[in-house]
Amino acid sequence: MSETRQYGELATQLVMESRRSTQTDTLLKYNDSIIRSIIREQRDLERATEQYMRITEPGNTPPPQLLILQTIINRNKRCLLAYHSHRTDRLRDLYWAVGGALPHILSNQEIRGKLSPHEVDFLRQYNTSVMEFRSDFSYELDIMASITHPPKDIHTLVRVVRDCGVIQTELGSIDFRKDQRFMVRRADIEHLIVQGYLEEV
Amino acid sequence: MDWDDEYDLQTVGGGTAGPSFMDRVRNAAPDEDEDEDIIPGVLPVINETPLEQLIRHWTNERHAPDLLAAQEDLLANLLDHLRRQSETVQLLRGDASTSEEEHIRIMLAQVEIERVKFIVRSYVRTRLFKIEKYARYITTNAEIQTRMTAAERAHASRQANMIDRHLYSSVLQSLPPTQGHLDDVDPLSTSEEPKNIMITEPDRTRPVFAHALQNCPPVHLPDGESLKMAKGHISLVPFYVVEHLVARGEAELV
Repeated sequence: MSETRQYGELATQLVMESRRSTQTDTLLKYNDSIIRSIIREQRDLERATEQYMRITEPGNTPPPQLLILQTIINRNKRCLLAYHSHRTDRLRDLYWAVGGALPHILSNQEIRGKLSPHEVDFLRQYNTSVMEFRSDFSYELDIMASITHPPKDIHTLVRVVRDCGVIQTELGSIDFRKDQRFMVRRADIEHLIVQGYLEEV
Repeated sequence: MDWDDEYDLQTVGGGTAGPSFMDRVRNAAPDEDEDEDIIPGVLPVINETPLEQLIRHWTNERHAPDLLAAQEDLLANLLDHLRRQSETVQLLRGDASTSEEEHIRIMLAQVEIERVKFIVRSYVRTRLFKIEKYARYITTNAEIQTRMTAAERAHASRQANMIDRHLYSSVLQSLPPTQGHLDDVDPLSTSEEPKNIMITEPDRTRPVFAHALQNCPPVHLPDGESLKMAKGHISLVPFYVVEHLVARGEAELV
């Protein structure tokens, strides 16, 4: 810990990063170095509190310094947890934005590079959990489908942006090849639009 | 087929060209299961169809900061109804004797089915969002669990475990052992049961717009005054003030 730095300054930086992430609506790279520094700061603070604890006679009121240290420890910890929770929230949003296509996220090198290994684990577990929840509804409806725009038509005209192979639809199986156009039932191909294989015309 | 009868009722109720979605919903044919939907202790709003009920619960859920009571029976009935309608539609579509005019009606019914599904989906996902956000809090609070379905409870506990593990492996295990838990309380608090400061809780003081669906008994505002909402009255109040009115269906959030 540098001599000129105030307690909790790094944690403020970390929280500012979360705020920037929200304001710009982007996922920033996992900031491993600040987190390590804060954890070091926490250990130093813990040692400092232990010193005060030792000099305090049992039964006496602890010195005010101890209260300040304890407050700053809690604050740092809150900031660390808030940073991680904020990121998991964003990861969940990301997951839903692509209609729950986990491979789609994990194969994207740009996104993958911003995640910590624990976050990749988290996404995998999240996917499993959501799939389990979804299976309760699967017969009637797919809860993964988009909820941004209410449906206006049952059919929609789509253009194929990327090959996506043979898909089962109401009209039988269709082999979607690049640049072809199809009139298909929205519910059948909605997930392909979300994942960017098809484009509505 | 009863589908056709229901459909006729809808068009008769719908009136002239371009009635709004809500109008059509209001005039939609009643579900045959409607009588079973009345939940004891909840005043049924007169002439409210299951779909209208769902729409009310959906807007409530979207506006409320806390998780509201799950509507399992209502949802199950609607989903059953949707399934029956879809089956009827399939049957009629495959029938060669179905006339051109009927095909147009079938299409309308299909659009309607998709729209109802949209609302159900949005409703379920709104709840899911809150459950995930407050998962850690939910697992320690028995009261809120009574407002959830079994599947939601299972999802919440899975979520809480995942978040615990994630926070533990990312942060808590590296901290000194005395700091490695999530049970910290505010050291400056003088209250006997200090609030936990590491776990997110729903903010029940968040202001909401409440719309009285009928004359409501007086509620107590935070400044000590009481407010009596007459039917049709709209007020901006903290959520906890009108929570019980919303739960009883006497008011809705808008």
